[in-house]
Amino acid sequence: MAIRDEEIIPISTKPLNRLESVYLPEIFKGFGTTLRHMFTSWGQGRTSRTIQYPEERREHYHPLDGGQEISTFRGFHRLNRDEQGRVKCVACMMCPTICPANCIHIEAAESPWDDREKYPAKFEIDELRCIFCGMCEEACPVDAIELTTEYDIVGKSRQEMIFDKNKLLHMYDITIGRKPM
Amino acid sequence: MPDWLTAQTFVSVHVFFIMVHVILLTVAYLIYVERKAASYIQDRVGPNRVGFDFGLPWLKPLRGMLGLGQPLADGMKFLLKEDYAPDRVDKKLFTLAPMVMIVPALIGFAIIPWGGTIVLPDLDLPLIGTMEGGPIVIAGLHVNVGVIYLISVATLSVYGVTLGGWASNNKYSFLGGLRCTAQMISYEIPLGLCILAALLLVGSFLPEEIIGYQRDHGWLIFAQPLAAIIFFIALLAESNRIPFDNAEAEQELVGGYHTEYSSMRFALFFLAEYAHMITGCAFFALLFLGGYELLPFVSVFPAVAEGSILAVLGIAALKFAVFFGKVLLLVCFMILIRWSIPRLRYDQVMMMGWQAVIPISLVLVVLTSTMVYLGLGGVVPMFIANAILAVVIVALVPVLPRTRTNQRLPLYGSRFCPVTGSTVQTGPTDPLAREDRPLQGTVTA
Repeated sequence: MAIRDEEIIPISTKPLNRLESVYLPEIFKGFGTTLRHMFTSWGQGRTSRTIQYPEERREHYHPLDGGQEISTFRGFHRLNRDEQGRVKCVACMMCPTICPANCIHIEAAESPWDDREKYPAKFEIDELRCIFCGMCEEACPVDAIELTTEYDIVGKSRQEMIFDKNKLLHMYDITIGRKPM
Repeated sequence: MPDWLTAQTFVSVHVFFIMVHVILLTVAYLIYVERKAASYIQDRVGPNRVGFDFGLPWLKPLRGMLGLGQPLADGMKFLLKEDYAPDRVDKKLFTLAPMVMIVPALIGFAIIPWGGTIVLPDLDLPLIGTMEGGPIVIAGLHVNVGVIYLISVATLSVYGVTLGGWASNNKYSFLGGLRCTAQMISYEIPLGLCILAALLLVGSFLPEEIIGYQRDHGWLIFAQPLAAIIFFIALLAESNRIPFDNAEAEQELVGGYHTEYSSMRFALFFLAEYAHMITGCAFFALLFLGGYELLPFVSVFPAVAEGSILAVLGIAALKFAVFFGKVLLLVCFMILIRWSIPRLRYDQVMMMGWQAVIPISLVLVVLTSTMVYLGLGGVVPMFIANAILAVVIVALVPVLPRTRTNQRLPLYGSRFCPVTGSTVQTGPTDPLAREDRPLQGTVTA
């Protein structure tokens, strides 16, 4: 759509005065601004906002200082365990149904335990397709799937980034201290 | 000992050989300095990881080092990348263009007298025999055309840009090359006129005599401040630096004339740009900042260094250090300009060239020649004349007719066309896509 005439807002700029219209004094004022920034941020000085990533991380800082609010962060998934260490999931297929990226694949089987009918024989999440919307977490009726605060997990192949049940349960084991259920 | 091998030739060859390498190393580290300065200006940190440890555990103390290993890593990256030439480019010109670009950049500074004049004693050289000493100039090339050589060689680089843009078979490259050609030709005029304004006072083309004049009469930047400013602006335009880097305007032309270049060929373009900066700044320091003289009105170094060979070479080295320090300061100023001023639009570049810079430099040449004719070529009268000219320029600016380029151009068929009833179809040509997009642009006013 082209811009309609009534959508155009004419903005009149202030006319330049004589000194401004030869540009050079204004240019030197600009150099002042540039140099001020240069010397205040020299060697990660006062105005430098850089966080040296592998050594410093955003979650070490307060959100107001450019840090990360970790309590609401949605990172990689984990599959929770119940008190007896079994997978909590009941394979109700809520999460693959709601998943907008279609990245959850569950194969249900009859449960070996008495307290539920089904359990996931296979539970795979393609973390490369996942958009980390957190809908699976919302949909889950037994709080089995959860998003952790981990964000820097990498793999050498695409296959490696498809997390299976063991890996998701392992994610629970390593993150339970940082994010309680 | 052959006739052609005079002491001057002997020294010149060595100086040239050394200076090419000094400049190449400086260029590599200028890129680092530019990145670091840009980062600090933008409140970032810049390269700070690559040291000289090469990933070896026993070189761990050399890790980091403020990122000083970055130029080495960049160079290795350029060497190891695939040298890719797209299909249907003009292969010969495509290969030739970086060479045409880099060669003038690396021979342009040959006439710069880095170390001044020294009196060399007779030397006994192995294999060659005794070489007769005498006064020689520490420069890569000692020719009596002087700065004319520099102008002619430095402006050759426009061929590299134009050829690169033409041979790439890419419309963005071509546009970049075209823009660069027009811009360089436009800004060569004020460049030449400013050199003329300075040389009218000096009365010689020889670099040594230009510095000699400034030793006696004070630096030319005090006698010709306007010429110095315009010369610096023209230098920026000639070396394609922001605010005049329309040839590679990233937002408009992808990468400009070097869009299709990769690997070492691209690196040559990059290298040439920085080598041009150094050559241009050396030229500026030679013409307006007194060359190797440390202070404006007093001479620190002897004009001609005499004595033992060590003393002579020591003075030459000191002079070189002062000269090169000035060049580096000027280059840092160029970097500061790059990260402070936005790029001019192309028509603004041309307008500034032909409507502001060229007329002022023309007036300056006339003014200088009049003053010299009247015998008022000294520093004080020339400075006063320049100040008066500057006041006149500032007073004249509001009176001059203004071009209103920011207004919308009423193109025929556009919504702004003054011809009533003219209709233009701006929708897509695909009939399926056009169904939900009605025709635009019926002019009613």
